[in-house]
Amino acid sequence: MSQIKLSARKSLWVGALAVLLLVIVSGCSGSKNDPAPNTAAQPGASQGTDDKSKTDETVAGGTFVYGRPASVTSFDLHNQITSNNAFAIDKVFESLVAFDSKGEIVDWLAKSHNISDDGLTYTFVLRDGLKFSNGSDVTAEDAVFSLERHLKVGGPLAISAKVDTVKATDSQTLVITLKEPYTPFISELSNFSNGIIPNNFGGVTEEEFFKKPVGTGPFVVEQWDPAGDVTFTKNTHYWQEGKPSVDKLVYKLIEDDSQAINQLKAGEVNAIESLALQNADEIKNGADTTVATNGSWVTEQIFFNTLDKHFSDVHVRRALALALDRDGLTKALTFGYAQTANSLLPTTIPYNANDTIKALNFDVTAAKAELAKSAFPDGFTTKLLVASGNSTRAQEAQIIQAAGKQIGINIEIESIELATFRERFFAYDFAVMLNSGQADSPEANSIIAFQTDPDGFSKSYWTHYTNDEVTKLLYQGQKTADGDGRAEIYSKLLQTLADEVPYLPLYYPDILIGARSSVDGLVVLPNGSVRFEDVHIQK
Amino acid sequence: MKKFWLFSVVGRALVVIFCVMTAVFFLIRMVPGDPAKMILGEYSTQEALESMHHALGLDLPVGEQYIRFVQTLFTQGDTGNSIINGTSTRELIADRAPVTLLLIGMACALAIVIALVLATLAATHKDKLLDHVIRIFPTVTLGMPIFWVGILLILLLSVRLHWFPVGGVGEGWWGTLYSLTLPAITVALSQIPTLVRSLRAQMLEVLESDFVVTLKAARLPSRVILFKHVLRNAALPTLILLGVNISYLIGGTLVVEQVFGIKGIGSLLFSSISKRDFPVIQGIALYCAVSVVIISLLIEILTRWLDPRTKGKP
Amino acid sequence: MKMIGTEPRLYEEHLNPTLMNRILKIPSLLVGGAMFAVLIILAVSIPFISPYDPSEQNLSAFLQPPSAEHWLGTDQLGRDLFTRLIYAARTDLSIMVLAEIVPFCMGILLGMLAGYYGKWVDKIISLITDTFIAFPFYLIVIIVAFASGAGERGIYITFMLVGWIVFARVVRGLSASYRKQEWVASAQTLGLPGIRIILRHLLPNVLPQAVVVLMTDMVGLLVAIVTLGYLGIGIAPPTPDWGTMISDGQSFITTAWWLSAVPGFAVVYTGIALSLVGDGLADLWRKK
Repeated sequence: MSQIKLSARKSLWVGALAVLLLVIVSGCSGSKNDPAPNTAAQPGASQGTDDKSKTDETVAGGTFVYGRPASVTSFDLHNQITSNNAFAIDKVFESLVAFDSKGEIVDWLAKSHNISDDGLTYTFVLRDGLKFSNGSDVTAEDAVFSLERHLKVGGPLAISAKVDTVKATDSQTLVITLKEPYTPFISELSNFSNGIIPNNFGGVTEEEFFKKPVGTGPFVVEQWDPAGDVTFTKNTHYWQEGKPSVDKLVYKLIEDDSQAINQLKAGEVNAIESLALQNADEIKNGADTTVATNGSWVTEQIFFNTLDKHFSDVHVRRALALALDRDGLTKALTFGYAQTANSLLPTTIPYNANDTIKALNFDVTAAKAELAKSAFPDGFTTKLLVASGNSTRAQEAQIIQAAGKQIGINIEIESIELATFRERFFAYDFAVMLNSGQADSPEANSIIAFQTDPDGFSKSYWTHYTNDEVTKLLYQGQKTADGDGRAEIYSKLLQTLADEVPYLPLYYPDILIGARSSVDGLVVLPNGSVRFEDVHIQK
Repeated sequence: MKKFWLFSVVGRALVVIFCVMTAVFFLIRMVPGDPAKMILGEYSTQEALESMHHALGLDLPVGEQYIRFVQTLFTQGDTGNSIINGTSTRELIADRAPVTLLLIGMACALAIVIALVLATLAATHKDKLLDHVIRIFPTVTLGMPIFWVGILLILLLSVRLHWFPVGGVGEGWWGTLYSLTLPAITVALSQIPTLVRSLRAQMLEVLESDFVVTLKAARLPSRVILFKHVLRNAALPTLILLGVNISYLIGGTLVVEQVFGIKGIGSLLFSSISKRDFPVIQGIALYCAVSVVIISLLIEILTRWLDPRTKGKP
Repeated sequence: MKMIGTEPRLYEEHLNPTLMNRILKIPSLLVGGAMFAVLIILAVSIPFISPYDPSEQNLSAFLQPPSAEHWLGTDQLGRDLFTRLIYAARTDLSIMVLAEIVPFCMGILLGMLAGYYGKWVDKIISLITDTFIAFPFYLIVIIVAFASGAGERGIYITFMLVGWIVFARVVRGLSASYRKQEWVASAQTLGLPGIRIILRHLLPNVLPQAVVVLMTDMVGLLVAIVTLGYLGIGIAPPTPDWGTMISDGQSFITTAWWLSAVPGFAVVYTGIALSLVGDGLADLWRKK
């Protein structure tokens, strides 16, 4: 017996030693090898705490690593709509006009623009000395080609204005005429999908061009893995002198939220794109991290299917709206990083009327009274459709469920995964759902058109909401020039929506970008994109 | 005789692979969900959706899609281009597989070594304190959800102590191995309990058997007894168990990869299913089926080598 | 080894005194059984123990640390964590048990058939087994979960599809070696129908081992259920489930770490209980 024990003991030591060796070796090599992928950027807290003293000595150059939850799958700007690609496309291509962080339209590639009084003629004069990243000059012909291709391709963000002609009157001047006035046109042009590309793709085939895109933007694509990371280098021909400051920009794919936060805290990335609400405070108060924020163009809403048995009754919708404490919900779920919504439009969009609109505020008594006026005074049972995977939304659903219970509406939560969720509501197979509306340019029409047009693709965001007066106001708003007249049209429209609640706006979430404290000059745009031209990384 | 055996085994493997591929093909198309809607989101237009359907060949009847699929598979050795990324699925998998395989390899090596040591110790010290202590280990770790372990490890060793990176994969040989250490430990932890249990139980049986008693009586040195005879016989069922575990791991590193931010096959599987990227899903299913078949084969060869008694079984 | 309470009560002498004695001598069985009993008692009596509803939100009292009113504190919506924890036990444990029934029976049956009859029956069943093993587990799980909509249905279906394999394999091996016994061969030549042998003799022989495997398998299933909850598949809110609790709490791990840690410990606790019982049963039956 003891002999066996001896050999067993020996094998124990051998085995344990091997394992121990493995652990020690990996542990040792760890402290020698810095796992950070970039050297010029802040190595992070792993190097001790003496980097907390921020000197004003900013360093030019270096690599900026931006963690993102999805990869870039295409640079074909006319066929894209989702942010994973849009926010890469807008680094490479730029448009005639752009919007700043306040959501105001500014001249960008055009040094000036003019809209005729009848709203039918748009004239743009390009800046002098504009060059593409390959050194060739930018002329009005390039703009003509770009817009014409967009018009031809259509795409998910097709130009809604009824464009008549697009002409280059000289090498610097572009004239666009419309068949009828369409005030949102100028903001459509500010969208990434109307970026300027070289005439005839600069001589290569369309496919080749979008593999190695050439644009006027601050960055040029160097390496691109459609299922992974993208590396950009700075555009040496960029029209804004001295910008961008960093030499390289890396879009690093980090699919898991917690991973992204951990990498930010460890300094393995300089900033992360999607910071979950629950973690915002932690990152804001962290020693080496901070939160860059801006108001967004997103409105989180409850959507009612107005063809549903119960929710076709406006009193039912109003009752549920009155039973819900939107303010309490917003405070509980968004930790101060969102604004309670009264109007359909976020406060970053012009004509939102959020302050003046009369919304249905929390009042359980009024809610019960409203329900009594409906066809279901004793309440009913229904299902709330939610896409899974979003814990904030899951909790929203639960708060709404509790609110409904108060007035006798039994809400069952149906939480299904995203793809199935999309199939369901595209097929109008829901009673009420949680989703969000979003503008893609600083234009009231952007959200309103999609959500109130009963003949549009979605039929009023899948609610089937039809109100002739609203539709009339919608088209009026598109044709009226900016000014008080337009403001009044939208005020009326939004008030009607607030009264009839085909959808109930809950809050406008802020855009949250997590960043290292050493990062300077990050500009957060209200569509969620970030400008890196001014970014500096402090030592 | 041997040639026949080889043929029948390979033939059977091919049948299995074919069944898996066909089943997956139809299964994923029966689930609701449209890749075009996943790419374009809520705000697309009807025309955009339709043109995408056409470009992806999704507007064809299912039978025809299947024929096309089989054709592509045999002519190009590929299950098609990824709907989401546009890259060849084969390249995508070839890119991501090494990391996952390395992770599995590291984890299994770790698990085997530790399981061997623990099981041997426990079996040879049966009912003593050491045995009880070792037996507690699998009991406790068996119920530990892998992602929970991962989260705690990251919290402790990466965020608090900075011994390891929080995630992702490092560069070069050493960097990769180093960044995979925590994930490998996490995966190993999920393997060790069952391996230790099984091996210990088997070793006990063999140690108490007449066969071993005879050997001991013949005054054979205990180390020889241990390694040459006991382990050899005891390892068999555990080996089969290991084979099943590895087969599961081939497509099952999903959670660990998510938690540690590793761009491997597991996370690719999850994202491709969520986005209904049919070619990639099929490609991964093929990769898994082939890998599992190879592993089963290896295990079977190994079992036959270790135990001549199983030869000739039907 | 301590002998705990070895004096059998009077009526038990008529039942099976040696069995009871043996059980009481195996600590793992006792401890495991006791742990599991505590869990069951808690789960059953929670409506009487806790004044809270698991879905009862209190938006002004969220993320509170443990206190007298809230034994384990509150979660991000102000719900009492202890209450949720035990209700989640109900959900997870009942699914765990229910989901095992069909695979258990199916696996034993198929395993016995494959092992006993061998030849082409074995070949077919082995082929089916191999095919299922070659399927990436998560592929099936996720697809089935997506196809069956929200909730536990997906878990039941998935497990029915793949859960039987481990039982089939173990039982097949046992059956094959059982069959080799001499008396079986002679019984067959005497014309005794196989089915009879299988049900009357093989089954009781195979069952103990299968039950031991069952215990371990249940732990694995529990972990799988919890993992699916973590991934956001399977059990949907507001039904409490340890997996979704861990996932929800992950965002607060640095501030309110117990939100994620405690449900994890609950799973470990259950795992320990079941493992001990499995271990104990294995010991019990080996000593025969």
